[in-house]
Amino acid sequence: MTDALELAGEAVAGADGDAAEAVVQAEHSGFARFAGSEVHQPTLIENVTIFLRVIRGHRAGTAAGNRVDAEGLRDLARRAGEAADASAEDPDLVEPAGASVLPDVNGNDQETAALDAADQARLAAAAIEAAGDTPVYGFFTSGVSTVAVATSAGFGGEQTSTDATALALAATENASGYAEQTSWGVRHVEPAQVARDAVELAARTAGAGELTPGSYRAVLGPYALGELLQSFAEDAFSGLGLLEERSYLVGRLGERCFDEKVSIVDDALDPRGLPKSFDFEGVPKQPVQLVENGVLRGAVWDRATAARAEDSVRTTGNAPPPGARRWGPAPFALSVAGGEAESVEELVELVGDGIYVTRLHYLGMVEPRQGILTGMTRDGTFRIRDGKLAEPLVNLRFTVAVPDVLADVPGLTREATLTNQDAFYGERFPYGALVPALATARFDVTGLGGPPGI
Amino acid sequence: MRALCEEAITAALAGGASYADARAIVRRSQLVSTKNRRVDQLDDVETEGIGVRVLVSGAWGFACEPRLDAEAARDAAGRATVFAKAAPGRHERALAPVERLQGEYRTPRVQDPIDVPLEEKKAFCLAAEETMQHADVKVTNASVRALREHRALVTSDGTSVEQDLVDCGAGIDAYASNGGVSQIRSYPSAHGGSSAGAGWEYVLGLGLAREGPRVAEQAAELLRAPLCPPGLTTVVIDAEQMALQVHESVGHPTELDRVYGTEAAYAGTSFLHPGDLGSLRYGSDAMNITADPTTPSGLGTFGYDDEGVPAERTPVVEAGVLRNFLSSRETAAKLELVGGSGGSMRADGWSRMPLVRMTNLHLEAGEGALDDLLADVDDGIYFETNKSWSIDDKRLNFQFGTQVAREINNGKLGRLLRDATYTGVTPVFWHSLDAVAGPASWVLYGLTNCGKGQPGQVAHVGHGAAPARFRNVQVGVAPS
Repeated sequence: MTDALELAGEAVAGADGDAAEAVVQAEHSGFARFAGSEVHQPTLIENVTIFLRVIRGHRAGTAAGNRVDAEGLRDLARRAGEAADASAEDPDLVEPAGASVLPDVNGNDQETAALDAADQARLAAAAIEAAGDTPVYGFFTSGVSTVAVATSAGFGGEQTSTDATALALAATENASGYAEQTSWGVRHVEPAQVARDAVELAARTAGAGELTPGSYRAVLGPYALGELLQSFAEDAFSGLGLLEERSYLVGRLGERCFDEKVSIVDDALDPRGLPKSFDFEGVPKQPVQLVENGVLRGAVWDRATAARAEDSVRTTGNAPPPGARRWGPAPFALSVAGGEAESVEELVELVGDGIYVTRLHYLGMVEPRQGILTGMTRDGTFRIRDGKLAEPLVNLRFTVAVPDVLADVPGLTREATLTNQDAFYGERFPYGALVPALATARFDVTGLGGPPGI
Repeated sequence: MRALCEEAITAALAGGASYADARAIVRRSQLVSTKNRRVDQLDDVETEGIGVRVLVSGAWGFACEPRLDAEAARDAAGRATVFAKAAPGRHERALAPVERLQGEYRTPRVQDPIDVPLEEKKAFCLAAEETMQHADVKVTNASVRALREHRALVTSDGTSVEQDLVDCGAGIDAYASNGGVSQIRSYPSAHGGSSAGAGWEYVLGLGLAREGPRVAEQAAELLRAPLCPPGLTTVVIDAEQMALQVHESVGHPTELDRVYGTEAAYAGTSFLHPGDLGSLRYGSDAMNITADPTTPSGLGTFGYDDEGVPAERTPVVEAGVLRNFLSSRETAAKLELVGGSGGSMRADGWSRMPLVRMTNLHLEAGEGALDDLLADVDDGIYFETNKSWSIDDKRLNFQFGTQVAREINNGKLGRLLRDATYTGVTPVFWHSLDAVAGPASWVLYGLTNCGKGQPGQVAHVGHGAAPARFRNVQVGVAPS
């Protein structure tokens, strides 16, 4: 891999301004995507992108590029300087971060880093073979991502992370099941097991029936809960969402709004997740309590938004990648505390009469202030009757206020699962949510879709 | 750049590929965004690289390199070939034949949007924001974006084309908030405005500063508007929301790779089947949908797609009947489509494999004006400007929310309504279409956020649409 920190340092040194910040993102990855049990989109990516932010007086501008030779860096510095000149005076402009002590994190596994194209194809093949006669759709991917940040104020940090994900949708014309595993170490990812889990689930979804729309008790499996919370969190737990009055937290901080069994933290240091040492402004990562025993405790912040907030607010180390900076800080390591239930079956028993949801699809934020989301269930939706999983259901449209879903929680599983939340757009930056399965007293079904399967 | 592509093709064929194509791309993009009269983001991005796709014993392989030199071209070809040879599966692939082409294409433009100084772009945004100042409006935002791409494509079938493409766009938003209610109003469309395959003159023609006061006033007015009531009613949908309706419920389901299941694990599949071609009743007689990458100023307009297939206008739905899918050479061959794919394969830059994508997909105009559509509605709801969207993996059950809705009473627009949603099932909904407004109401929009593929790819697509009327639609969906 490129020496990313050295490159970031060279970019800062070459910048012509009063201050500068460089972020380097390097990627070496392979993606063996399969459909109908054969690989159809195999993609190998090599890239290094440098983002250089230059400050001249009270003006800031950013240029980015992937030419890392001397001429490329000179061109980058020129364009960043021109961008700064073209910008407007901002008296509250935040200077780049200074030196700091970074936490030690795991997340760089040599075995994963050593995987090559043949290995990625082999691990995809393991999933395909384990599925037997059931067609599977999904991928195995692994990658090495390096993020380096250097600033003229003295910060210099580099972190190389590995990640591996196996994902499988087992599907026939009228049945489908889904499973995934994500880790920074490939030894924790078993593509064959992922495929077997998906096939086993799919076998139970044939002959799906309809459900009368209405409010149901429900068990949300980890994939469903992870996706629901990640979507809710984009506005609700964002400092920018608070400042711009889009967040559900506006006027509610310190109030108990969720069931006391619900505690949520953003914790990029947790070795069970995809650990990160610092954010894209060069600020050390730290656990951020968002919800504690049902009480809303706070949001995540970056330096730019914290400077605009009240005096007591400090950055929490949640600056997003440079290209997404205007969307504000984001929780990239959501973690929901586990409960007392030893198994999903125990939650199903707690719910008694309701529905079980494996996975969600295409979530849309209907009204952020109330946290109302809509979307569909897919690949494993079941009726719960008499405390047991019963007949399979067609895909269901739901329109829920997430706070209502979390307001009455009969239980959560003790174990949490790392669910992948990255769709691998742009520069690779894997992240996930650590979530248990959750039982809720309220999940609003507002329509019906088609049966499972493809 | 074509020489580098040729170098890659030679290396791929020498490595055992039966087919190869190579794309060398230099992409420059700029984004200027201002918020509350300060510069929020001002970025200037330039990337370059080469992507090589190979077919070895029927298996695809793809690799890319971020350098534009001969060694990088050979490296990418070599790695793509290795990956293809390792890929598990049956791999029985054929490609629909295409004409061998040598050509060039350039987006018509008066002024290259990248050549417009960043200073001017910033001033444009700040001027637009200035017009949206209002006591209830807490956040104002204006943005402009510009892109220039130089793309070279060479295939082992003998096609060699080079394109000089530009696009740009702009938009404004006003966020009002008061008393625990927050509302947004945007122009010319939501989610970053609208874009076109044209020069800076497109941005100047949008009239952001002209529309700013109305946008701010409506955002504030929405704070005091009643909620859209639930019910089954007649709806009239404006051109902007119709553009997204077409995108989600016609564009994606007619992508032939989805029909064959290759997007199943992520974006989803389609309720359509290959055998539906030519016979499936998608909607009413008023429904006419056309794919047209030749549309002047279309955001999905080009000379050649990423397999070298020339842009061609193709009917997708005629008088409610499915007439064509969006396809690639591979999927077209699978369905034995006469005339090949029509040019729908597109890659998001040099680091991604091409996928079947929308180009410009239009709802063809009908007759009359918006007032004529409203005149035939005793009691209904008018929907304007998208706010939220969601659709299932087969593209059947959808739910959209719009920024603005209005009651329709006795053929006239009435009270403003907030948080309006409507929902339906694709073919049922399109069968309930009974009128589309005429050419004078037809507007071309450009969306820059169409996601698909793993790893993810973003496509720029165009949609022309006019206001349309649908009967018996469920509106006002909310948690019970």
